[in-house]
Amino acid sequence: MQRRAFLGIGGGLLTSAALGGWVLARSAAQPLLLSARDDGNGQHYAVGYRLDGRQQFSTRVAQRCHDVATHPSLPLALFVARRPGTQSYLLDLRDGQLLQVIESPTDRHFYGHALFDRRGDWLYSTENDTSDPGRGVIGVYQLHGQRLQRHSELSSHGIGPHQLAWMPDGQTLVVANGGIRTEADSRTPLNPQEMDSSLVLLDRSGTLLSKDQLAQQQNSIRHLTVASDGTIVTAQQYQGELTDNAPLLAIKRPDQALQPFAVAEAQRMAMHQYCASVAIHSELRLIALSAPRGNRLFIWNMDSGQLRLDEHLPDCAGVASTADGFVASSGISGCRAYECRGASIQRQMLQLPAGLWDNHLRLA
Amino acid sequence: MLQPVRYTLLALSLLLAACSAPDPQTRTSSALASEVFKPAYAAWAVSSQQLTGSAGALCAGSIDLSEARKSLIKAQTAWAALQPLQLGLITEGNRSWQVQFWPDKKNLVGRQIEALLDKNPQPSQADLKQASVVVQGLSAYEYLLFDPAIDLSQATAKTRYCALLEEIAQHQKLLADEVFEDWEAADGIASQLEHFPSPRYADAHAAIADLLRAQVSGLDVMKKKLGTPLGVQSKGTPQPYQADAWRSGESLNNLAAGLASAQLVWQGQADNGLRSLLDSSQQPLAKQIDQAYADTLQQLEMLQQSLTALFVADGTHAQLQALYTRLDQLHRLHERELAKALDVQLGFNAHDGD
Repeated sequence: MQRRAFLGIGGGLLTSAALGGWVLARSAAQPLLLSARDDGNGQHYAVGYRLDGRQQFSTRVAQRCHDVATHPSLPLALFVARRPGTQSYLLDLRDGQLLQVIESPTDRHFYGHALFDRRGDWLYSTENDTSDPGRGVIGVYQLHGQRLQRHSELSSHGIGPHQLAWMPDGQTLVVANGGIRTEADSRTPLNPQEMDSSLVLLDRSGTLLSKDQLAQQQNSIRHLTVASDGTIVTAQQYQGELTDNAPLLAIKRPDQALQPFAVAEAQRMAMHQYCASVAIHSELRLIALSAPRGNRLFIWNMDSGQLRLDEHLPDCAGVASTADGFVASSGISGCRAYECRGASIQRQMLQLPAGLWDNHLRLA
Repeated sequence: MLQPVRYTLLALSLLLAACSAPDPQTRTSSALASEVFKPAYAAWAVSSQQLTGSAGALCAGSIDLSEARKSLIKAQTAWAALQPLQLGLITEGNRSWQVQFWPDKKNLVGRQIEALLDKNPQPSQADLKQASVVVQGLSAYEYLLFDPAIDLSQATAKTRYCALLEEIAQHQKLLADEVFEDWEAADGIASQLEHFPSPRYADAHAAIADLLRAQVSGLDVMKKKLGTPLGVQSKGTPQPYQADAWRSGESLNNLAAGLASAQLVWQGQADNGLRSLLDSSQQPLAKQIDQAYADTLQQLEMLQQSLTALFVADGTHAQLQALYTRLDQLHRLHERELAKALDVQLGFNAHDGD
């Protein structure tokens, strides 16, 4: 039996029909905030909270997770191990029941990000081929009932793939290749002077459609988000000097090349060369970006470039769009909601537990 | 009949005294704010005020270059002492960048100053404020007073550089005053570290956490300021011109000033620092940290020359490396052991994100 074998845990196989009430049920309730979180003792959890503070579940998991891939129609989500984790966790979002622990195959580990396709039949996960450290792989998994089964893999056409997303056609994947080689069980870069980061578009069969790069070799494209019109925004982590002028936010408008998004020196320097999470509000044409080392949360208008918010938010982490703006979490302080429809952005403290939220959050 | 009343009053007053006695975390936070942080910010503000007088006097010819350099070194030292005390307004709006630009791997300070003056020979305060942080701070001031290519004792150099020199000094004064005012204000940062809950801190533990974060983060930067010229990040190849104050030769004195502040946060002015929060079962850790400070300071005292001079002296690289090792150990003891002992989450994503 191969190591890739999937370890099913508890819970009988529910059919899609049994989960059919989910869409109706969730539309009536407050959004469910999903994130990886730790406790004060360093134990790891996959958690779900309603935005009003009610805990839906808190499920202990063995490895620290990073991002969450939510199913488009069923109450399922995959909490994905951050690098160099080898387990991801499929949960029932109604009660947090752990349905399946997915072990990465031999010579592969997760990079913290994955996503379901539009129909929810397939899941794509960024992974490292540790037999050729850093070679980017996209693991392809098929959902059978409530179990994910590894089907095949694609090349990410780059090194150290991190976040990935769908273009609006639902058929084209965009992948941020961070450009950093790391070995199994390690987070230490092997190629700090020879990084090779890229933003690639590929179709579902893995065919490379385009590849963009930024000017500075040490500028690692890590996170990205896609607007409904196909505009891609990327957030970088620059591995060079703290004082170097590196664009930490970039934009690829439809049919254009990836280029730096104009950020003033005051905001750029405040980021301390490290951005965590980026989100777009397609209707309001806004970009939100968290910079945990600089303890700042920013919001810009993505068309005019106007800075709408530059706020102190200690160790700010995950950001996601809501109907009226964004929510943001923090590694050491409280979570906040931002109402962005008015002339000025209004902040509201959320009644959620403070601190120890990982870098990404999703709303289901 | 009066006796019971008297005892009741006595008991009541004792009870009130017990109620009003601050808990250890409030006492430490308050003491560090008023006895360590605030005086250090006051000293920096005074040195920045003196810098404006010094710049004016040098440009007017009433003091010589060596006197002007002393004023800069005083301001540099006062700033270096704030390295483990970065809390409050100084952490907002890139203010610390406006004081010191480091690392300057590509000599941006020199290049941007020359480019600015080529374009605008008489920059005003408004011009300087609009310019990059690279030319606004003590790093730029140090370039003007110490760079081998500039001799500010000469009239030609004064003609080119004096306007900028005086505006930088003025900018530093305004900046330091603004930051210190926040330490003094009734609802400022010091007050928020003394009375809980405050807008910034829900309780004294949150304040202690922030004080420790400032100290640990400062120790980390001090480590990098030593490690970068030593070549820790560049496969051991020394890079003396990557030191934070290589032009003035003050890098090790700056390190000493920062270390003294870090030790004050640990010990307090009257044994009321973070150390006082450790209980009897944590005394082995307290002694370990005491020893780590003693070892680091002892190693630093052995190095009596400037960092740049030490790189060219035989046999001193090993001593600098030993200093780095001790500083690294000191930093780790705070970051890992002390944070754990005080139940403080230093950072989650900021320190170990992805």
